[in-house]
Amino acid sequence: MYSIETENLTKKYGDFVAVDHISFKVEKGEIFGLLGPNGAGKTTTIKMLTGLTPPTEGDAVIAGYSIRKNPIEVKSRIGWISSEVILDDDLTAWENLEIQARLTGVRNWKERATSLLKYFGILDFANRKTGKFSTGMRKKLEVSMALLNSPEVIFMDEPTIGLDVNTRATMWNLIREINRDYQVTILLTTHYMEEADSLCSRIGIINKGKIIALGTPEELKSRYGGDIIEIELKNGTNVNVGFENAVVTNGKVRIKVSNAETMLMDVIRAIGNDNIKGIKINKSSLDTVFINLTGGTIEEQDFDARRFYAMIRRARR
Amino acid sequence: MMDRLYALYMREAKRIFRSVYMWIMLISQPIMWLVFFGSSFSGVPSQVLTSFFHTTNYIAFILPGELSISMLFVGMFSSMSLIQDKRFGYLKRVLITPTPKYDVFLAKTLGGMTRGLLQVPILLVASYFLGVRLDLTPLSLGVLFLSLAFVGIGFSSLYSMFTLKTADWQAPGVISNLINLPLMFSSTALFPKAFFPGWLRAISDVNPLTYAAELNRGMLLYNDPSWNYLGYLAMFALVMVLLGSILTNKYLNAE
Ligand SMILES: Nc1ncnc2c1ncn2[C@@H]1O[C@H](COP(=O)(O)OP(=O)(O)OP(=O)(O)O)[C@@H](O)[C@H]1O
Ligand SMILES: [Mg+2]
Repeated sequence: MYSIETENLTKKYGDFVAVDHISFKVEKGEIFGLLGPNGAGKTTTIKMLTGLTPPTEGDAVIAGYSIRKNPIEVKSRIGWISSEVILDDDLTAWENLEIQARLTGVRNWKERATSLLKYFGILDFANRKTGKFSTGMRKKLEVSMALLNSPEVIFMDEPTIGLDVNTRATMWNLIREINRDYQVTILLTTHYMEEADSLCSRIGIINKGKIIALGTPEELKSRYGGDIIEIELKNGTNVNVGFENAVVTNGKVRIKVSNAETMLMDVIRAIGNDNIKGIKINKSSLDTVFINLTGGTIEEQDFDARRFYAMIRRARR
Repeated sequence: MMDRLYALYMREAKRIFRSVYMWIMLISQPIMWLVFFGSSFSGVPSQVLTSFFHTTNYIAFILPGELSISMLFVGMFSSMSLIQDKRFGYLKRVLITPTPKYDVFLAKTLGGMTRGLLQVPILLVASYFLGVRLDLTPLSLGVLFLSLAFVGIGFSSLYSMFTLKTADWQAPGVISNLINLPLMFSSTALFPKAFFPGWLRAISDVNPLTYAAELNRGMLLYNDPSWNYLGYLAMFALVMVLLGSILTNKYLNAE
C-alpha cells in the first residue's frame, strides 16, 4: 500500500519547467528522501503534494486521495514542516497549537497537544510566547503541530537546516521516532547526504525538475557510486596495474571499483606485495552518487550563506 | 466550519490586544482629530455654526464623522496583516490545512472591524470631556456600533481585495493614499455638503462614509435618524464581503 503516488507530476512557471513529469511511489511507513541541488524542484514538489500550488500536469494520490480531485481530503491527512520555521511569535506555544488544531479540525486537541508537548519535552514552555523559543524548541513545536491531526504523511522541507550538530542529531532521532511511534510516512528533502543516508529507506535524486535516480541508499551507492582503493607505492611511478579506472599520481594509485573488499586481493596481486607501502579504502558514499549524478560538487550546493541567513531572518522576525 | 474562522479571528484579535503600539495608535489618533481638527472651528460665531452645522459645537458635528473615518482608516491594517502573513509564510501554514481561503479573508476583515470598534468608546469618553453631550441610549449605542461595524467590514474588505495578489509592504500605504483622502473629503463626515460642487456632491451621495456620518449624527445629535441609511450600510458591507470572498477564493496565493 502506498502513501504517496505521483504520476507525471509537472509544474511550469510560464515557460520554465520547475518540476518535469516526475513519477514515484512511497510505501506506507517509509521515510523517503528527495535530494537535489538548489533549484532542482524539491520545494515545488512538496508545494504541489500539499496543495499549496496546483500542478500544471499530472496528478498525485496521497493517503488514497487525488490532490486534484480531493484536495480537502488530502489536506486533512497530511502534516507539514517548513524549512523556515513558521509560527506566530506573538502567540504562545499553546495558542499556536490551538489554531493548528482548529484549522485541521482536531476534536480532542487539548489532550493530544499536552501529550505531544510532553513527548517532545517542551510542556513547561507551553504558555510562553514562541518568539522567545530557541530554534530547536521551535522545530519541536512545529513537529508537534504537524502531528496534531494524526497525519498519515508528513512533508518535511529541509528539516535540519540551521540546527547545530547536537540539535540535528536530536532531530534525526525525532524523525525516526515519530515514524516508528506514530506510524507516519515521511517525505523529506535535504542537502545533507549523511542525513539522507541514515534516515531514508529510499531516496529520489532530482535534478532540473526530473528524477534521475531512485532507490535505497545502498542501491544508489552500488549503482552510481563506487569504492576507491588507494595504494601508496614504494617506488616507481610507471606501474601498469592493468585496471581500467586506475589513476596514478604522486606515487599513488587510485582505482575505482564497485566493491573494494572483493577486489582488494586482485589489486594487491596485480601491483605486487613488495611495492605496496600503504592501503586506504574509501567506501562509496552518497556524496559520490550525488556528484556523479548531478555533476556538481556538494560543497558548492550545500551551503549558500546568503540564502541561509535570509531564511533565518525571515523565520525569526 | 465556524471553528476555523473562529481560530483565525481570535489570532487577529489577540495580536491587536497585545500590541502596545496598537493601543497608542487607537487612543491617540482619534483624540488628536477631535482636539486639533475639532478645535479649528471653535472661534466661529455660534449662529454660523448653527446655520451650517445645526449644532453649536463643531466637535459634536464631526464626532460621528470622525468615528466613520476611523473605520475607513483601519481598513489598511487588514491588508497589512494579510501581507505580513504572506511574508512570514504563515499563510502557507494555514492554506496547507483544509481551511477555505475565504476564511482567511473574513478573519482579516473582522480583525480590521474590531480594531476600529475599539476606538468608539475611547472617542465617546474623550468627546464628553470636550463638552459634547450626546443622546446615548442602548438603542443609539447599538445602532452606532452596528453601523460602524458595517463600515469597518466594508472598507476592510475593500482594502484586502486590493492587496490579495501582492506581498509588497508598500501596497497598503499606496492604496490607503488613493482611497482615504478622496473618500474622507467627498463625504459629509467633516463638512456639510452645502458648499460642495455638483460632482463632489454626486460622489458624496454614494459614499458610505456620508451615510454613516449622517445616520449617527441624526441619532446622537438631532434625534432623527434615517433608518434606510443603516440598510444602505448593511448592503455595502454585504456586497464587499461577498465580492471579497469570491475574489479571495480565486486569487489568494500563499506567497
Ligand atoms: N513562484 C515561482 N515562480 C517562478 N519560478 C519559481 C517559483 N517557485 C519556484 N520557482 C523556480 O522553480 C525552480 C525550483 O525551485 P524549488 O524551490 O522547488 O527548488 P528546491 O529544489 O527546493 O531548491 P532549494 O534546494 O534551493 O530549496 C527554481 O528554479 C525556482 O526559481
Ligand atoms: Mg527548497
